[in-house]
Amino acid sequence: MLKLHNLSKVYRTAEVETVALNAVNVEIDSGEFVAIMGPSGCGKSTLLNIIGMLDTPTGGNYFFRDEDIASYPEARLSDLRKRNIGFIFQSFNLIDELSVAENIELALLYHDDISASERRDRVASIMDKVGIAHRAKHMPSQLSGGQQQRVAVARAVVGGQALILADEPTGNLDSTHGQEVMEMLQGLNEEGTTIVMVTHSAAHSDYARRTINLFDGHVVTENLRAVG
Amino acid sequence: MFKNYLTIAWRSLQKNKLYASINVFGLVLGLAVYLFANLLVAYERSHDLFFTNSDRIFTVGSHFSPTANIGINETDGVYSAFAPFFEAEVENVEAVARTIGREYLLSVDNDHYYETVRFADAELLEIFDFTYLGGDASALDDPMGIVLNREMATKLFGTTDVVGRTVLLDHDHALRVRAVIEDLPPNTHLAGNFLDDEGTAVIATLEALNTIDGYALEGNWNNLSMGDYTYMLMPAGTTKAELQPQLDAIYERHFPRKDLLVVDGIKVRKLVEANYVLWDAIGLPILESIRILGLLVLIVAIVNYTNLATAQSLGRSREIGLRKTMGATRGQLVIQFLVESLFVAFIAMVIALALVELLIPLFNVAMDKGLAINHLRELPWLIITTVLVGVVAGAYPAYTITQASPINALQNSGAKGLKGGFFRSIMLGLQFSITIFMLAMVMVMFTQNQKIESASEIYPKSQIITLSRLGVDSLMPRLETLRNELLTIPGVTGVSYTSQLPFEQSNSQFNASLEATGEAEDFLLTNIVIDEQWSAVFDVPLLAGRFLDPTRSADSMSEDATAANVIVNQLALERLGFGTPEAALGRVFYDLRQDSESRSLTIVGVLPDQNYQGFHNQIKPTVFRQIPERFRFAAIRVEGVAMGQAFSAVEDVWEEIVPDYPIQSRFLDDEFNETFQVYGGLSSVLGGFAGLALLLSLIGLFGLAAFMAAGRTKEIGVRKVMGASMTQIVRLLIWQFSKPVLWSLLVALPLAFLAANAYLSFFAERISYALPIVGGAGMLAVVFAWIIVAIHATRVARANPIHALRYE
Repeated sequence: MLKLHNLSKVYRTAEVETVALNAVNVEIDSGEFVAIMGPSGCGKSTLLNIIGMLDTPTGGNYFFRDEDIASYPEARLSDLRKRNIGFIFQSFNLIDELSVAENIELALLYHDDISASERRDRVASIMDKVGIAHRAKHMPSQLSGGQQQRVAVARAVVGGQALILADEPTGNLDSTHGQEVMEMLQGLNEEGTTIVMVTHSAAHSDYARRTINLFDGHVVTENLRAVG
Repeated sequence: MFKNYLTIAWRSLQKNKLYASINVFGLVLGLAVYLFANLLVAYERSHDLFFTNSDRIFTVGSHFSPTANIGINETDGVYSAFAPFFEAEVENVEAVARTIGREYLLSVDNDHYYETVRFADAELLEIFDFTYLGGDASALDDPMGIVLNREMATKLFGTTDVVGRTVLLDHDHALRVRAVIEDLPPNTHLAGNFLDDEGTAVIATLEALNTIDGYALEGNWNNLSMGDYTYMLMPAGTTKAELQPQLDAIYERHFPRKDLLVVDGIKVRKLVEANYVLWDAIGLPILESIRILGLLVLIVAIVNYTNLATAQSLGRSREIGLRKTMGATRGQLVIQFLVESLFVAFIAMVIALALVELLIPLFNVAMDKGLAINHLRELPWLIITTVLVGVVAGAYPAYTITQASPINALQNSGAKGLKGGFFRSIMLGLQFSITIFMLAMVMVMFTQNQKIESASEIYPKSQIITLSRLGVDSLMPRLETLRNELLTIPGVTGVSYTSQLPFEQSNSQFNASLEATGEAEDFLLTNIVIDEQWSAVFDVPLLAGRFLDPTRSADSMSEDATAANVIVNQLALERLGFGTPEAALGRVFYDLRQDSESRSLTIVGVLPDQNYQGFHNQIKPTVFRQIPERFRFAAIRVEGVAMGQAFSAVEDVWEEIVPDYPIQSRFLDDEFNETFQVYGGLSSVLGGFAGLALLLSLIGLFGLAAFMAAGRTKEIGVRKVMGASMTQIVRLLIWQFSKPVLWSLLVALPLAFLAANAYLSFFAERISYALPIVGGAGMLAVVFAWIIVAIHATRVARANPIHALRYE
């Protein structure tokens, strides 16, 4: 699905040069569930942002479905992103002023080819799937953290995205809710969605079939978990 | 998509109610003032358009030479002797009509009323298509015919069915009602102007005026009165540019008194301009000022919105980040924010319109106007205004907030409070510049008004009762009896007859010279007719010589006298070159009369320079003479008794001696207040505008301070942990806002100073200390700003640093 070749990211200010990623080579196939781990400041989030096309690398190549997109302009990346990639954040990032259904619908709003009625249908069915249909009209502030993250998951996949990027999706949740969310991700993965997840939790990284360990901008190890 | 924008817009307004109400309220105020100012100006500029011929009717006015020194640049009429030349020499002219307004006593049976009669050429009815309730446009073909409007007919006869009935003018002249016309709406110059509210209720012929008063039908070259219009009806499509050269030529060919240096030209205007020509004449661009002020208040309100929305939108950067992540393009996000500000602008416009609708009836009643919003006709303008306001106000916040990359936006929710600070400082500075400017102007105008009021105290105006309309032939012989009887009233210490009262904007001038033959240089002197009691009644002390004496025959002159004793003021002495007041006594100069022999005038007394003629007349070289034929007014000085009591005693005396004319008595105080209200009204209007601008600016500052302080919560927390005291933090925050406000002082104060001086130059007696007032206005604005920010800063600084730091 995607391939990073000698990818590097350097932040430059007038005096300091900070290397966030240094010649990273990673390949992720369709249907994989990959966890990225590493200590704070190792470049996990930078890597995820680049994969998510929210950031651009300063060197190397990024092949997304065999296209080298490293030098694509913002508008094109934006288009690619909205059709292919869904995001899940540690802090949920739901919009407080929108209801559950409207928050999910947001992910479809910027697709010109989806009609209003189709949007409604898709939102309804995804809410059923993640089990928050009864909360459709509620505002985010009325939901528990677990429920909010379920809404965020629904929002990430409602557009039929093939790749989910999750940045510590369980970081703000207690273990029970964290567990729930991981199972939901696992379910999605089993249906064929590719998932790349940054996490601190060894327990949750066990849901992934492969773990990439980063340290100071380098890929240190890649562990493959035997499919059980 | 659009629905989603509106949902978000509505909910984010609801979520932050204080912010929303400040924003909407600010725009409502700004829009209401702007709408109202524009409606008012449009109303004043659309008078008389209901006349079918309004496009084809022109008026001709006179332009005064700068050396005429009469306080105004032009007037709305011309010498009546011009009209025959217009008729004969203006190409294609279809009709010319003069009008002359005079006040006369009208009687029906035993009811007497003083009314302004508009004497006019019969063509007037051809030029203006009145609606006739009775009779027709031929009414004035009868030399003794008159036209009444509905109101006047009802007042005189109790009915409008009065064609053929008779009205007696001045007890002697029977006028026949030949037509009754419908009352005119308030939006016509014929309803009177701001200086006099005499409408057009009675129209008679110039022939009648000839019969009554010996008015020369061919016109004259010596009388110009405001409101005496000369109209020309031209073929459709005629322009001012075509007419003006012809009028210039007529002036050159026929005007016999160019040497006087008073009227230096005649000027054509379209009928629609008749309503506001007097503002031009005074030189106060009042309509333009109202429009500009309205716009300035709106700009302040827009800046407010922009500043608050920008600050507030920083709190929504997470939403922006998210939307970008979801694939929203920058354009879509900009549109979203613009939709929000359009939404707010729309709400504000609806409320503002409602507000204006509520205010208009009150205003119309108070000011005797007929303003109305024609919603359908104004719709395009209202929509354009709403959209412009929405887009202008929302453009900057939309631009800034959508600028950040999605990751930054997601990470820095609200933390970048200082970003765009420069722009906001500029905006704040602009807002305060406008506010300080307006505040300074109001304070200058207010102080100047105080000055006028205190300057008017040179005359004991609260102790004087005035009588007017004494200039009637049958009253003249009775004036001495009247005076003697009035003097028997307890408390009445003096009665003086004059040609004009203080504060009255009236100019009578004559050509004077040191040589009777006119060989020496001649110049204009102002002429005021007084009598021997004038000095005592008005408390004016002599500088030298003696006052006029009833026992000396040379002290009183008739119109055809060839020699007389006079009193002059100091300026006249300077003009004549007679040196000190003492040295001038006994010196002689000459009144160069047009059609008769020069009259020699001997100075017997000298008066100080005082402003007798209203507020924006410069004090002029003036000659005071006693000419009993020209007495128009009486001034009755009352001391030691209640004015009300004296007032009714005066009425009783009048009733006894002059039973055939109704008394026209007033307090001099009221006369003053009436003239003064133009300036008082002007400064209250501007005061209202400035107050609103200040209020808006402070509201904006308050909101901005709240958001800016919120953006610095972490910084403040860290400072507190490091040991900063509360005062230090308050000072820090105050300083942040002081800079733009102080910059705005630099912009506003010089401009205000210039504008203040321009305004003050309209007045003869003016305050000499505009600078400290302007500076004071600046200080006031800064102090207000400090208070507002300090309130906020204290609250922020008092908070526990742990709360400040925990939020990351």
